[in-house]
Amino acid sequence: MIRYLARRLVYLVPTLLLVAFLVFFLIHLIPGDPAVVMMGPDASPEDLASVRQALGLDQPLWRQFALWMGSLLKGDFGVSIHTRRPVFQSIKERFPVTITLTTLALVFSLLISLPSGVLAAAYHNTQKDYLFMLGTILGVSIPGFWLGLMALLVFSVHLGLFPSTGFVPLWDDFWEGLRFMVLPSITLGVYMAAVVARMTRSSMLEVLRLEYVTHARAKGLSEWKVLTKHALKNAFAPTLTTIGLQYGMLLGGAVVTETVFSLPGLGKYLVTSIYMRDYPVVQGCILFIALVYVLINLAVDLFYSYFDPRVSYQ
Amino acid sequence: MIWSKLSRNRLGLIGLAVIVLNVLVALLAPFIATHDPLQIDVASQAAPPSAKFFFGADEYGRDIFSRVIYGTRISLYVSVLSVLFAAAFGVVLGAMAGYYRGWADSIIMRCMDAIMSFPAILLAIGIMAVLGARLINVVIALGFVYVPRFARIVRGSVLSVKQKEFVEASLAMGNSDAAIIFRHILPNCVAPLIVQATANLAYAILAESSLSFLGLGAPPPAPSWGNILSDARNFMLDNMWMTIFPGLAITLAVLGFNLLGDALRDILDPRLN
Repeated sequence: MIRYLARRLVYLVPTLLLVAFLVFFLIHLIPGDPAVVMMGPDASPEDLASVRQALGLDQPLWRQFALWMGSLLKGDFGVSIHTRRPVFQSIKERFPVTITLTTLALVFSLLISLPSGVLAAAYHNTQKDYLFMLGTILGVSIPGFWLGLMALLVFSVHLGLFPSTGFVPLWDDFWEGLRFMVLPSITLGVYMAAVVARMTRSSMLEVLRLEYVTHARAKGLSEWKVLTKHALKNAFAPTLTTIGLQYGMLLGGAVVTETVFSLPGLGKYLVTSIYMRDYPVVQGCILFIALVYVLINLAVDLFYSYFDPRVSYQ
Repeated sequence: MIWSKLSRNRLGLIGLAVIVLNVLVALLAPFIATHDPLQIDVASQAAPPSAKFFFGADEYGRDIFSRVIYGTRISLYVSVLSVLFAAAFGVVLGAMAGYYRGWADSIIMRCMDAIMSFPAILLAIGIMAVLGARLINVVIALGFVYVPRFARIVRGSVLSVKQKEFVEASLAMGNSDAAIIFRHILPNCVAPLIVQATANLAYAILAESSLSFLGLGAPPPAPSWGNILSDARNFMLDNMWMTIFPGLAITLAVLGFNLLGDALRDILDPRLN
């Protein structure tokens, strides 16, 4: 297991280098002089020179990348042009909001998708199954930000059930914090719930055809036990991969959801920084989220063998 | 064969009908729209739905119905072009990786892995942040982030088709690599490509509207669906209709492509079901 983990981490190195290069290269896609774009056309030559020097734009490209990578390895994501604060510091302050949002969205989507996917497979080709399929296809078709706006209108403004905007950390006041996060996490989790539910249904259908399931039924086990204890565990492995991949949708979708609900997370910070043309922050946020996504998928791969022992770590 | 199977798939047909409707609305927008979508009318600011303004008017008195109708054009333009962009690059890169293997395969697929290491919408946001909010940039950004999806599919298909006897025969006849790839191998990868392209059209519509909503898509006052929702956001408390219709338009368009995509997947590539 440890050898497998070490090997996976080694394989990650070229991918992470390419990820870092892509993020580094982003700033060089800016049409014209990035310093002028960031500081505005009225900036003084001294200000422009200082930004060029701070970002290393006056250096050859290969050296810029080497310097940037060197800083990253030391945990230095650069400094915000506008606030002059270290980007990593700001990311650390905002990331708990984003991880709370995405985790609650994940919990919501799993609570909905796993039971409904199992039930849809159990009721395959019945009216319940068709209704389920219709629900999931609607789930992947409704834009999350619109769902968020509608949820705000109905549940916050008209029914007054939940606060419309704002954030209270769960670790300060769990129940109050949860009230603030219900609408954003449901809004964000709907798409993932639909995708995972469909995956659960199709994996369950494949497993339910296998002989060991027939054997379990022949032994006289209740259908509930057959479905949950015997079929779901094996059907869960491909679903787990989908969950890992879909977590990226949550991290990306959080950018939009945080904007709709004015949550002070990484996504909102990213969007605000884009408006302010604070590119070191933009680079830092994108790189950080990509790293989190890569590590989550690594963790999912490691969990895989628990659900599918045929997967070997050798 | 596809059509005869599709004609028996009710949900697929509904999806196709929705797509055809969207295409017709996009093509005939000047005839369907009742107002100029950019025409400001101060006297009609935030007018509720009526016989004059079917979907009401926005904060500048612009007719939301006409803006939604013209928004169909923007949405289809961006989604179709970005999918074509992604498919063109993805097919070539995936075919090269699968056909030549070795270092070409390693380099191409590591680059694809790197692009896929980003949540798609996040990378698109990053690209738009530096390229600037222009419609063609949305096409480039979305096309770029979707390239790996096509490359992976084509590479996988090429790997399996490459082993077939007709490819060996073509090689023995002295055909060039390009001729073998484009004439013999790629036609056998069409089915999964069509399924992927249809699904991607749905993603692209959602992504384009999200980018516009964030102010990173079509620049205002272009009547993209995301822009209409972004404008409406500040006025929705008293004018709910401003947000309802553009959202329904996005949902309907995406639903059409999703329904057709599901049906095509069942017909063309049952393994993916």
